[in-house]
Amino acid sequence: MKKPAYLLLFPGALFLAVFMVVPIATIILSTFANDGSVSLAGYTSFFTDSYTLGILGTTLKISLISTLICILLGYPTAYYISRTSVSRRGIYLALAIFPLLTSAIVRSFSWMVTLGKTGLINTLLLQLHVIDKPLQILYTETSIIIGMVHLFLPLMIISLIGVMENIDGDLMQAAASLGASRFKAFVKVVLPLSIPGLLVGSTLVLVGSLTAYATPQLLGGKKRVLATLLFQNTMTLNDWKAASIIATIMIAITFLLIGVMNALAKKLNPNG
Amino acid sequence: MKKGWTISLAVLLLTGALAGCASKNEASGTDAQGNGKPKELVVSTWGFSEDLLKKNVFEPFEKANNVKIKLEVGNNSDRLNKVRMKAHQVDVIMLAEQFAAQGIEEGLFEKIDRSHIPNIDNLFDVAKAPNGTDYGPAYTVGSSGIIYDKTATSQPVTSYADLWRPEFKGKLSLPDITTTDGAFLVDFASKVGGAQAMDTEKAFGQLKTLGPSVVKFYTKSSDLANMFNQKEVAVATVQNFVLATIKKANPNVEWVTPKEGSYAVRNTMNLVKGTKNKELGEKFIDWWLSEEVQKANALDKVDSPANKNVKLTPQEAEGLTYGADTINNLKTLDWNAVNKNMKTWIDRWNRDVVSN
Repeated sequence: MKKPAYLLLFPGALFLAVFMVVPIATIILSTFANDGSVSLAGYTSFFTDSYTLGILGTTLKISLISTLICILLGYPTAYYISRTSVSRRGIYLALAIFPLLTSAIVRSFSWMVTLGKTGLINTLLLQLHVIDKPLQILYTETSIIIGMVHLFLPLMIISLIGVMENIDGDLMQAAASLGASRFKAFVKVVLPLSIPGLLVGSTLVLVGSLTAYATPQLLGGKKRVLATLLFQNTMTLNDWKAASIIATIMIAITFLLIGVMNALAKKLNPNG
Repeated sequence: MKKGWTISLAVLLLTGALAGCASKNEASGTDAQGNGKPKELVVSTWGFSEDLLKKNVFEPFEKANNVKIKLEVGNNSDRLNKVRMKAHQVDVIMLAEQFAAQGIEEGLFEKIDRSHIPNIDNLFDVAKAPNGTDYGPAYTVGSSGIIYDKTATSQPVTSYADLWRPEFKGKLSLPDITTTDGAFLVDFASKVGGAQAMDTEKAFGQLKTLGPSVVKFYTKSSDLANMFNQKEVAVATVQNFVLATIKKANPNVEWVTPKEGSYAVRNTMNLVKGTKNKELGEKFIDWWLSEEVQKANALDKVDSPANKNVKLTPQEAEGLTYGADTINNLKTLDWNAVNKNMKTWIDRWNRDVVSN
């Protein structure tokens, strides 16, 4: 092995150390400082306060539901795309990624127009006499979830396609030749092999929706999530300590989730 | 395990990218004196009607004084926070009076020399010294009251107490407590609750019952305009300058001066501590208060005039807070008291009103 090869890491590592590790460490350390002594007071009050716990609960609930919906919608789509010819796959992939290319603000505004009381959905339902009064969809948890799914579904699809592409089509035929039905072959062969992709996708969606700010801010109405609470603390209350505590809690949850997902991946990945 | 690391890294990078660091610090404005090059004056302001302000205020001043005006735009709290962090020097800052009161309390502003700003004498009394005579005047006095869609109810809205009508449930929007209008909520809710002055307990008792009626607490007037456009809401408390925008989208919307009276919204101009352009800044403030600028801004509906020499026809005054009678009847709050209570109020607000 050529000895100085690791030196190539140096510029990147230095950049990350200065602009990521140091600031994050500073934020985390500052949350334990309390008039010169070390204290957990900020965290105790966060975790004993029903108001902040409620927001934490809402945040987790929204992220989990968004992730589940992304799996339900993304899995069949990804499977279909991965089975098409290479040239078509490129087109489908580009289409799937498209939502990621528009800004969160533009996307949220189009949802506001669609979900509002005079929006597309309510107008349609009213015209068809399904409802006689507009539904309140905008400014609820539902509208946040819709926005999140729209935002993060591409990540789920990309992660799944990456794994599914590498599942050899002959495996399905082999299973069929051994007498498995198409459904059984899918459950026994494709599903287990695609689990790594599913886990990567879920982690990305879960963490992404946990930390998203613009979507809940614009579509959420009165509903608060951790990211909007953090914003209120910094920008309007100028309370950087409370904001740092929320940030640290978000980082901790993120790592916890990654840890759980990695452990699951280890357990479920047939290749070990 | 290798894959584990890749996933962790990917997630971290993504988190960073989505969190999006939106801080852009422009290079600080140091002036190049003496060699004929224009000086630079950094003005921190809202960014509304920038094109009109450029025409009415900035360009004439730049020409007359060989100066280049650089704008830093954002809402009150964003911009005050930037000054707190001293990222770079701002010369003149325009803030609503309670944010100015915070800045003064924290020692962020320079005292002004009123003899350098003779136009202060031409202002309505209420605008002369909203934060005391050591600090900047108000360059505009707006008002905060109620707007509602006439077609949404058979009974006209005349009082703040009408917001509690059951028919407005799911049709109401209120400003967030942290906005300029937030403290007005506490004041009128105190009165509706039967108190004479601001009373935290009575106010939040009332606001708690109002919370479930609210669709969204807005932090930006543009959000409110959107909600009226989309017919998400039919009634709100708001400052009068937003009326024109909302009326364009929904002509049934009407402004109400509640029988309890509407509130004065004074926007101030102050010099930021450490400015190297103190006299130029004072000159700039004086220019903004001049009859010429005030009239031009009033005609373009940028700001209601604070200069009492500005004369407008009834049409020209439409949508503005205009006239000695109107202005002298506006209610003002004690912002130092408000700012002292704000933290408690925000806490009560979050718990009792928003999550109710």
